[in-house]
Amino acid sequence: MSDTAAPVTGTGRATAPSKRPPGLWATGWKKFSRNPFAMTGLVVLAFFIVISLLAPWIAPHDPARGDMMLPNLPAGSEGYWLGTDELGRDILSRLLYSGRISLLVGFSVAIGTVIIGTFIGAVSGYFGGWIDTIFMRFVDVMNAIPLLFLNILVLAIFKAEFYYMILILALTGWMGVARLVRGTFLQLREMQYVEAARAIGVSNWGIIIRHLLRNATAPIIVNATLMVGGAILSESALSYLGLGVQMPDTSWGLMLSNAQEFMLVDPLQAVYPGMCILIVVLSVNFIGDGLRDALDPRKKTVKPRRRLGK
Amino acid sequence: MTEYLIRRTLQSVLVLLLITIVTFLLIHAAPGGPKTIFLSPNLSPEVMEQQAENMGLNDPLPVQYFRWLGDLTQGDFGYTFKNNLPVGDLVWPTLGNTMILMGSAWFLALVIAIPWGIYNSTREYGFSDQLASFIAYIGFAMPTFWFGIILQELFALKWDLLPLSDMYSMGKEGDLGDLVLHLILPVTVLTLGFLAGYVKYSRSSMLEVLDQDYIRTARAKGLGERKVVFRHALRNALIPIITILGLDLPILVAGAALTESVFNWPGMGRLFLQMATQREYSVLMAITLIIAVFVIIGNLIADLLYAIVDPRVKLGRKGGAGA
Amino acid sequence: MTQNLLEVRNLTAGFETENGFVKATDRVSLSLAQGQTLCIVGESGSGKSVTSLAIMRLIDYAGGFIESGEVLFKGENIAGKKQQDMMRIRGSKMAMIFQDPMSALNPVFKVGEQIAESLRTHKKLGEKQAWAKAVDMLRLVGIPSPEMRAHQYPHEMSGGMCQRVVIAMALACDPELIIADEPTTALDVTVQAQILDLLAKLKRELKTSILLITHDMGVAAEIADRIAVMYAGAIVEEGTVDQVFHNPSHPYTVGLLRSIPGLDGERGGELYTIKGTIPSINDLPTGCRFNPRCPHVMDRCLREEPPLMPGKNGQRAACWLEELPKEGA
Repeated sequence: MSDTAAPVTGTGRATAPSKRPPGLWATGWKKFSRNPFAMTGLVVLAFFIVISLLAPWIAPHDPARGDMMLPNLPAGSEGYWLGTDELGRDILSRLLYSGRISLLVGFSVAIGTVIIGTFIGAVSGYFGGWIDTIFMRFVDVMNAIPLLFLNILVLAIFKAEFYYMILILALTGWMGVARLVRGTFLQLREMQYVEAARAIGVSNWGIIIRHLLRNATAPIIVNATLMVGGAILSESALSYLGLGVQMPDTSWGLMLSNAQEFMLVDPLQAVYPGMCILIVVLSVNFIGDGLRDALDPRKKTVKPRRRLGK
Repeated sequence: MTEYLIRRTLQSVLVLLLITIVTFLLIHAAPGGPKTIFLSPNLSPEVMEQQAENMGLNDPLPVQYFRWLGDLTQGDFGYTFKNNLPVGDLVWPTLGNTMILMGSAWFLALVIAIPWGIYNSTREYGFSDQLASFIAYIGFAMPTFWFGIILQELFALKWDLLPLSDMYSMGKEGDLGDLVLHLILPVTVLTLGFLAGYVKYSRSSMLEVLDQDYIRTARAKGLGERKVVFRHALRNALIPIITILGLDLPILVAGAALTESVFNWPGMGRLFLQMATQREYSVLMAITLIIAVFVIIGNLIADLLYAIVDPRVKLGRKGGAGA
Repeated sequence: MTQNLLEVRNLTAGFETENGFVKATDRVSLSLAQGQTLCIVGESGSGKSVTSLAIMRLIDYAGGFIESGEVLFKGENIAGKKQQDMMRIRGSKMAMIFQDPMSALNPVFKVGEQIAESLRTHKKLGEKQAWAKAVDMLRLVGIPSPEMRAHQYPHEMSGGMCQRVVIAMALACDPELIIADEPTTALDVTVQAQILDLLAKLKRELKTSILLITHDMGVAAEIADRIAVMYAGAIVEEGTVDQVFHNPSHPYTVGLLRSIPGLDGERGGELYTIKGTIPSINDLPTGCRFNPRCPHVMDRCLREEPPLMPGKNGQRAACWLEELPKEGA
């Protein structure tokens, strides 16, 4: 363990030829599938994705149009399992349609941040020098303004709209990925095989994409997964503040802002959307953590337990 | 040391200038230009033009920017478009209110989180450790404002134990007991938010240190477990924790926009939100700038503390990383 | 018959993992007489570091434990002792020197303080006395201007200096046994020689017993009285330096010796290597653990495991061969 090179070296001939070790992804999946939290997260998330996709077919009512004769029905009412809100809109249907929006925001923002962050991190880490300095100062500036404030500012000044929100969240969320990719690249670009690739005339972008990015894939995926949860939370916050999703569209955050106004009438209205957010984000985070454990090659399979003083 | 401080201050001023430029440009890049934002749409075109001229909105952008900057150096944040109030009078009181709220939550979180995290590092995967990681998972996945709403429903509406919102009850402004009652719910929400991260952080920082060779040396010396943990490990584990605290300092002024909205707390975050929807750009600029100053001070404090607790770090030689 | 200072009997130690108990040493037996130096030599992963940690009972903190066997220190079995009682022994009666001196010292304390701490703990010295003694110890291990150096932090010193500090720390309370785990491996070659000389000098002057762990036969030759060769968790040969170097009785020892460059005067020739790699201790072949790599493997070696038995040359070896065939290089 703590020993360095021993004088005896092996040729490997004497031992049985070992099987080709399974790749990172195969072992990763094996580890992932054995993690009960991660698998539960996966199943729950899949469930939410499916019912969101199927919302137009399975929602019992139009989420935007309420029956003014039936406002504030309690949960368990006939035809309205979870009741109706103050405008007589079916809460269950609204939850289903909200899921579409929240998940769409979550995944689009995650993809957006990965694209922007990977690009900036890769260029910064690979080329170094003044490009790196400029990009990293820019990251400093971005980090010096709290994200929520920046989002509020931009959405208030431009237009509080769904697509703007996705764009803004992606444009203000890439710094983590950029730092990560840059770090990996700084480490790897000095490696021999990169030197070798350069020596045989592989172009810079060829090296970046084929050699370096591949090594950063696992952490990027982990980061992107955790980003989905963060984006869903941001969306709910901005929609709650009235700067995100606008009527007649609906999202869990918007439903919460509505529910707070009618807290006295029907306190349960605030519980459902909040629970949905909690469960979905929790699932995504479980998946992210599971991926991190599964894909991190430094993490040992055997975890020694501490046994102090028998 | 002096050289380091001078260099850091210069760097900080540069970052601040960049931030003001970015904010300024952002506001002026709004569709329709600043005029449509700042002036009432009910005005006739002639009056609007006249007003814009008076306010200097027709001047080229750099002129406008440097005028703003010049006023700023004299401590003048400008005036609001609506009602023409001095921005400083509006912003400064909210800064204090926010710091009361966030300071209490932050302090509470630290007092709980650091000892808890350290305890958990010595009992890995024990009950307390599992509980902390459960809280962390919930804390990271739950919209904090939702937690606030639920607390309001239970403690204020259902059981009527605590005030629903605001900083003071009507007619009790300045009453400390009343303030404390109003603090309980929002502070609970914010503390939970901080707690999740800090427990995890101090635990992993401590675990990393406990794995180091010098801890084995300390044990080989025959030191008791208490001395090993509290003397040899803790000092090293606190180094990254202290750094994080410095970096988190700006949260004290900026972290509470949502909680302030939920609990109608008259803080800077809520003011920012109100002013954003009213497009009071001089207020927004002022708040952004104040926050940025805190970010930079936080970074500086983190660096200084780092140099104090870690004998390996010499400011001036290694410092200067980060903004 | 005089009692040995340290007597290890059938020590099996290892780690508890998700897949059950994983052995790192397999029934290791050793003895070390007062004032002697015993070297344990072996490749990486042969279990020599675990042996040393188990003797110190520091293995408990590394996620492992002693599964069976005895560790007799001055006639007392310490294998089952409570950690609380071990604390009184560690640092005062037995002390340890580690491989990487830079990381073995706590970066946030002055080196003098780290030595004085031992003295305060075990000798119950006061602040000032402990500090004065710490400075004396630094002088003893050959650190120039010790008064000034005591006030420095580890990062202000070189690797060799740090190792001297670690040695001073180990010696501070006049221990009867010093366990040195690869004390020179992390150092530059020139510094290595200085540290070895220092250890040899201290051993002569202070009459301390030393258990030295190394992978380097050359280091062993320089300082040891006796040598134990470890392979895949077990001792395969044990004897005096003379016996082991001049009349090795185990094919593995022969291999180790022949892979030292230039020892037998032969230069320019190809460096000898033992074919194959060290097997995992939890996946050993039946019979002798060395049989897949042994050039003299016989039928019996594949069936029966040889115990450590006294051989003709006076040392003990775990090999079925009556005599090693002399063969040309």
